[in-house]
Amino acid sequence: MGEVELSCLAYVKMYLHSCLFPRCSVNGLLLSSGPAGGAVCVTDCVPLLHSHLPLAPITQLALTQVDVWCSQTQQRIVGYYQANACASDSSPTPCALKIADKIAEQFENAVLLMLDGSKMSPDYRVPPIVMYERKDSKWVLKDKHTIMLRQWEETRAIASQMLESGDHAMLVDFDGHLDDITKDWTNQTLNAKIAELSSPANGTI
Amino acid sequence: MRDKLRKWREDNCRNSEQIVDVGEELISEHASKLGDDIWIIYEQVMIAALDCSRDDLALTCLQELRKQFPDSHRVKRLTGMRLEALERYDDANKHYDAILQEDPTNTAVRKRKISILRAQGKSTEAIRELNEYLEQFVGDQEAWHELSELYINEHDYGKAAFCLEELMMTNPHNHLYCEQYAEVKYTQGGMENLELARKYFAQALRLNNRNMRALFGLYMSASHIAASPKVSAKVKKDNIKYAAWAAAQINRAYKLAGRGNKDNKCSIKAVEEMLESMQITMS
Repeated sequence: MGEVELSCLAYVKMYLHSCLFPRCSVNGLLLSSGPAGGAVCVTDCVPLLHSHLPLAPITQLALTQVDVWCSQTQQRIVGYYQANACASDSSPTPCALKIADKIAEQFENAVLLMLDGSKMSPDYRVPPIVMYERKDSKWVLKDKHTIMLRQWEETRAIASQMLESGDHAMLVDFDGHLDDITKDWTNQTLNAKIAELSSPANGTI
Repeated sequence: MRDKLRKWREDNCRNSEQIVDVGEELISEHASKLGDDIWIIYEQVMIAALDCSRDDLALTCLQELRKQFPDSHRVKRLTGMRLEALERYDDANKHYDAILQEDPTNTAVRKRKISILRAQGKSTEAIRELNEYLEQFVGDQEAWHELSELYINEHDYGKAAFCLEELMMTNPHNHLYCEQYAEVKYTQGGMENLELARKYFAQALRLNNRNMRALFGLYMSASHIAASPKVSAKVKKDNIKYAAWAAAQINRAYKLAGRGNKDNKCSIKAVEEMLESMQITMS
């Protein structure tokens, strides 16, 4: 199928989300602000849950709210990510497939992304992600050559740096928002910090 | 610092990174001033160290505890936990079996064995062992909750609901159990379960009117019931009322949250629009 590009912002937030809750399964939605046709550009993500992933009400609520927010900000939901609590098993769970199916109903080229916990240690140089796409009503592994992460080394460096300095504590997922509704699940502050770290003026390129 | 550690012990918090930070400093610099407290602190810091992959610190604590309490089953359990953290599950199991030979009623060790099954991804066996455990130790709340989580992950909602019912019976004032039960019922689906879900979301709210999950849950279950073509006019009317009440409460909560807080303007707008759009589908 088509090409998929994963932005620095989306990757770093997914990474920080899974690091913030290392003992839980976490999930979230992948968003795109790019045009509808051609390659899928994942430009941002919204971290959703870190508990009771298979239960329906909060997931439905989150999908609805993110949908509304997307239409207000010219973005669309293009995929779903999940990181399993059991680091040695990165296969999609039934609930992951179900939610990804729902997303694919609205967006044909939806992607399902699993974070591979066993490859997230500092000595691994490759992106710890496994991507699936929909073919004939089933989710199949995507060809690695159709997945792009521009400036991977820089992205990896930013993710590690933010983890070291404890910035992952700034991340708010939907679960966290429901515990305290003054917290912002769109993570504007965190987004700004990541943008700052990845701007050329910072001299990191 | 001691007080912080004590509070975390009493609240059973799993903030292992903080415990390691505070505990390490306390042990290395102030050990002499701690008196007999030092042993329980060693235990607390050791477990936290295992959680943060700090085997060096864990071993130090364990060795001190072994010197002081050479035949203690409690300390032997900690040795087993260290083996678990090193993923030496077979050795850990042998170790635990030896303890259980001497003391078959040691519940902590039985639960460690079940945790090993969970860590290895053997959910079916973990569920079976946990069920057997609960036949003997019916009052173990922690175990009932763990079992409900296992069932939820296996999508066996009926059995998860049963576990939560046990918990609600023994903890009638706990709003979290009510709310989790309602979520399971909602997930099971069907009109009867939706109505039960709505009732239990409402109950959770009675116990804690700030539980946002329960508030949203009430709104969503009432809206779904009202929107169903199969319900009577009276049921529809009642549920529209409940949903409208919940929507008003949600709006109020978000307005309060939004005062003087620029951060969540996005979420407020999203909620407002969502509530508006769902109202249209109901009428």
